[in-house]
Amino acid sequence: MTSVVGAADALDGSTLYDSAARVRVRRTMELARSILSNPTTMAGLILVLALLAMALLAPIITEPNTPDPAQMPRDWGAIAVPPGSPDHLLGTTNTGGDVFYGVVWGSRTSLRLSILVVSITVTVGVIVGSVAGFLGGRVDEILMRIVDVFLSIPELIFALAIAAVLGPAFRNIILALAVVFWVKYARIMRGQVITVKRNDYVDAARVIGDTRLRIFAKDVLPNAITPVVVQATMDMGNIVLVGATLSFIGLAEAGLAEWGVLVAEGQAGISSGRWWASTFPGLMVFLWALGFNLVGDGMRDVLDPRTEKSR
Amino acid sequence: MTASSSVDVAAGEPRTDPKPVVAVNNLRVHFQVKAGVVEAVDGVNFELLEGETLGLVGETGCGKSVTARSFLGLVPSPPALPPQGTIDYRHRNGGGVVDLLTLDSEAMGDIRGNHIAMIFQDPGKALNPALTVRDQLGEVFLIHRSADVLEGAGFGADDTGLGASLIRRAARLKSGIIERLLLALPPLRNRRNRLRASADRLIMEALADTQIPNPANILDRYPHELSGGMKQRVMIAQALACNPDVLIADEPTTALDVTVQARIIELISQLQRRHNTSVLYISHDLSLVRRVCDRIAVMYAGRIVEIGPADQLFARPKHPYTRGLLAAIPSLASRAGELEAIEGTVPELIDPEPGCRFADRCRHSTEMCLSAEPNLVDVDVGHAVSCFAYAPITGSDQTPPTVADPAPAAASPSPAPARATDDRTAS
Amino acid sequence: MQIRQYLIRRLLILPFLVIGVSIVVFALTRIGGSPVAIYLSHEMTPEEVTAIEERYHLDEPVPVQYFYWASGVLQGDLGWSGVSAAPVTSVFPSKLAATIELAFAAAAVAISLGIALGTYAGARRNRLPDHLTRIVAISGAAMPLFWFAIVMLIVFWVNLGWFPIGRSDPDIFASISHPTNLYTVDAVLAGNLRAFGDAIWHLILPAVTLGYGATAIIARMMRSSLVEQLQEDYVDAARAKGLPERLVLRRHARRNALMPTVTVIGLSFGFLLQGTVVAEIIFRWPGLGRWMADSVLRGDQATIMAYVLFTSVLFLVVNLAVDVLYAYLDRRVILGD
Repeated sequence: MTSVVGAADALDGSTLYDSAARVRVRRTMELARSILSNPTTMAGLILVLALLAMALLAPIITEPNTPDPAQMPRDWGAIAVPPGSPDHLLGTTNTGGDVFYGVVWGSRTSLRLSILVVSITVTVGVIVGSVAGFLGGRVDEILMRIVDVFLSIPELIFALAIAAVLGPAFRNIILALAVVFWVKYARIMRGQVITVKRNDYVDAARVIGDTRLRIFAKDVLPNAITPVVVQATMDMGNIVLVGATLSFIGLAEAGLAEWGVLVAEGQAGISSGRWWASTFPGLMVFLWALGFNLVGDGMRDVLDPRTEKSR
Repeated sequence: MTASSSVDVAAGEPRTDPKPVVAVNNLRVHFQVKAGVVEAVDGVNFELLEGETLGLVGETGCGKSVTARSFLGLVPSPPALPPQGTIDYRHRNGGGVVDLLTLDSEAMGDIRGNHIAMIFQDPGKALNPALTVRDQLGEVFLIHRSADVLEGAGFGADDTGLGASLIRRAARLKSGIIERLLLALPPLRNRRNRLRASADRLIMEALADTQIPNPANILDRYPHELSGGMKQRVMIAQALACNPDVLIADEPTTALDVTVQARIIELISQLQRRHNTSVLYISHDLSLVRRVCDRIAVMYAGRIVEIGPADQLFARPKHPYTRGLLAAIPSLASRAGELEAIEGTVPELIDPEPGCRFADRCRHSTEMCLSAEPNLVDVDVGHAVSCFAYAPITGSDQTPPTVADPAPAAASPSPAPARATDDRTAS
Repeated sequence: MQIRQYLIRRLLILPFLVIGVSIVVFALTRIGGSPVAIYLSHEMTPEEVTAIEERYHLDEPVPVQYFYWASGVLQGDLGWSGVSAAPVTSVFPSKLAATIELAFAAAAVAISLGIALGTYAGARRNRLPDHLTRIVAISGAAMPLFWFAIVMLIVFWVNLGWFPIGRSDPDIFASISHPTNLYTVDAVLAGNLRAFGDAIWHLILPAVTLGYGATAIIARMMRSSLVEQLQEDYVDAARAKGLPERLVLRRHARRNALMPTVTVIGLSFGFLLQGTVVAEIIFRWPGLGRWMADSVLRGDQATIMAYVLFTSVLFLVVNLAVDVLYAYLDRRVILGD
């Protein structure tokens, strides 16, 4: 993309955009290399890929439940079976639900949850943050005050309250998380926009006659993408964490093939020694959050060299 | 400066005094890094005599700091491989010789701050920002001179009882949290305060020695509340608190204002004369070193290239590197008024090439210089150089380099007659 | 004094943030069904309902409603808790005390364990203790508390039977009066050693579990902070004085490494606060968190709103306090060269 808007065939102009693109490519390569060289990050990556595979291949790994695969299948003849039996690898719950099924399809549910929430939050956050950063002044003030207020309420509690008010449904959990988690991106974007605004080369671009939108696309976005991507990666993990907590507390429909719901269901059997119904689904939540956290951490180490590398 | 060693002119006659306090023999300190092994210090030999000030000069990265730190075992050991060679230390007042490189941490702890002390370049960074002057200075006394502190407070060595042992432990900084709490309680509080007062007295004495006008005033201050000069005086007081045999001064004035520099230098010399301390003075500032030191050792890329009495070294520098350094000093430049820079840069010390390390920057280098490393050889009384121009490899068919003396130099020396290359070190 | 100005500005903004939060909370009540619900204490007759609607001006435009709701809150009227069958404000204090006790214990565990672990790891960089600590630290951030708590429960309560659940043994505590509602304190005040021991025994498992996440981030920060300090000149200078390594660590490096750790300790407060919800459910601890969880399930809006309001204000205040503390501690060092 080296063409320059405006009549003048400004040599400066074309090198300006060229180098921005090249910088982007170089940075992506650096990112990839750093991820591959770091053992903990690699472990995280493997974990994430395994979980994604599980989510996508769920219909193949287990027989989808009819009529709604997202609901737990119940076998009333096999109540509280311990793990190890051929039909029920990880055992069954107190109500005959197959734990293995829950574990596998739970990943699907989690994937759906995290992708939906992350998409919504990133979009909304980026838009709001960019608007605030670009327009500045009053608009910025107001928007940032709203962000500050949202950040004053602890995340889990906020989501809990919203989901409670809307009623127990998985759909509402998605909504609640979206409302709570978008603010981080607004902050990040706004910061990036403001930093870029201060840089000289944006002035140079404007002298050439670029519109704000172009500046945004070519200068702001490529730089801002990296912290947003890092945050989004971490959020993929954390959203499932918070979401599972919410459904554990009881804000999702009972019988859903979702890890938090399963852990809650399994609670009843604990005092009688039936540990498997809660332990395995809960473990999955941990692994999911761990994987994404490790990958996000590794990415952040590359992109933010001033934080001490705890290697 | 100090009464210099009266060295006899003719080489070979035994030296009378002073005796060497520290003898560095073939010290090699290598560092393991990702790219390979950095030979930071590679075959360093010299002696530090009683009561003398020996300057160790060279560019950044030449290994002077690493050499000095090896005396006290302060070279960080995961990157550094175990050092080779020996650093032999003998107490001034007799007693056996001990190889500092072989000491365990307890023995080293006894030497550090007590027999061999060190002052650092930037007193602002070398003092703990979170501790007061009293805390930091007091530490030295409590660790090494707790007996004096106890005596000064009137506690006898044969006092018994729980209180006495608690006090004794406190005097050696061994108190745990509970002990400190107990000492703060009324029955023991009095004794604790006496101990503190005794320590304070010693601290103030040490501070007064460094010509700080009102020592009592700064006891409770934190480092950042003091000026640069004051901080350095505190450091000096710390270092000399136990009257060490050796003081290592690692660029003590680099971080100070010029006006303060002179006073600190003067202070160090004064104190040195008073206690007959040997000082190892590390610097990259040649003109400074000339004023301060009796002898100077010039280091380059991990080896000593020339060592000799200060005046002689400056008047008749032998090694091409030394000549280059001197030619680059504005104040000592020839009347022609041109500053000469030495071309090139310090070589990579990772798996270095064989041969003299200065060869590729040296105007006079020949094949012989690239083939092997020269050793330190006496060219004059107490003055040794490591350069093939003065001691070419015998029996080689390669041409040795020739180093002509610069025109404005005092005498017109010719390179000393070729001698058999000696493996023994000269000082 | 930029820092001071910054902090004063934060202090001044605080009330506005609180108002902002109250608006959000209020909005939530309006979103979730009938506004009257907060104030209904039982099956009320239509006349009673109308009376309530009039008292809180629920027929008027929303901003007016907000005003009356807010003034009610400021006067201590937080509505009626269906779960506890009592006004919110009367139930609050005893639940609060239980949560404070738990949170304090968890914080104490997290701070002491985190600092110790971080110091231990930082001093042995890249050796086994460091790697183990890193694993703990990383897992701490990703650990779902509800799962961890259940696992702890299974191991230590069901299988090993070392610890009980719940807050206290009712038999032992029947005779103790509760001036503070903090069982440990009350036991001490009553001079009853056995009760004190019982209270502590009940506290251990929930506190350690709740504190795990905070322990992890504190340890991590302490470790990296210590490693940083160990590279400073004054550490070498201390060694050069002849101080044994353990004193160098304790007296010099650790003291300076503690400062950045203080901020993390403040941050982890948020962790702890949110964790109480889950921990109290699983360990049957009668505090605010469990109260909130019950309210969420039963649609007890008054409690939910009160809880959100309370925790947010607490969150804001603690964050500000931590920043002030850090600025104060930092001043000494920053003002140096």
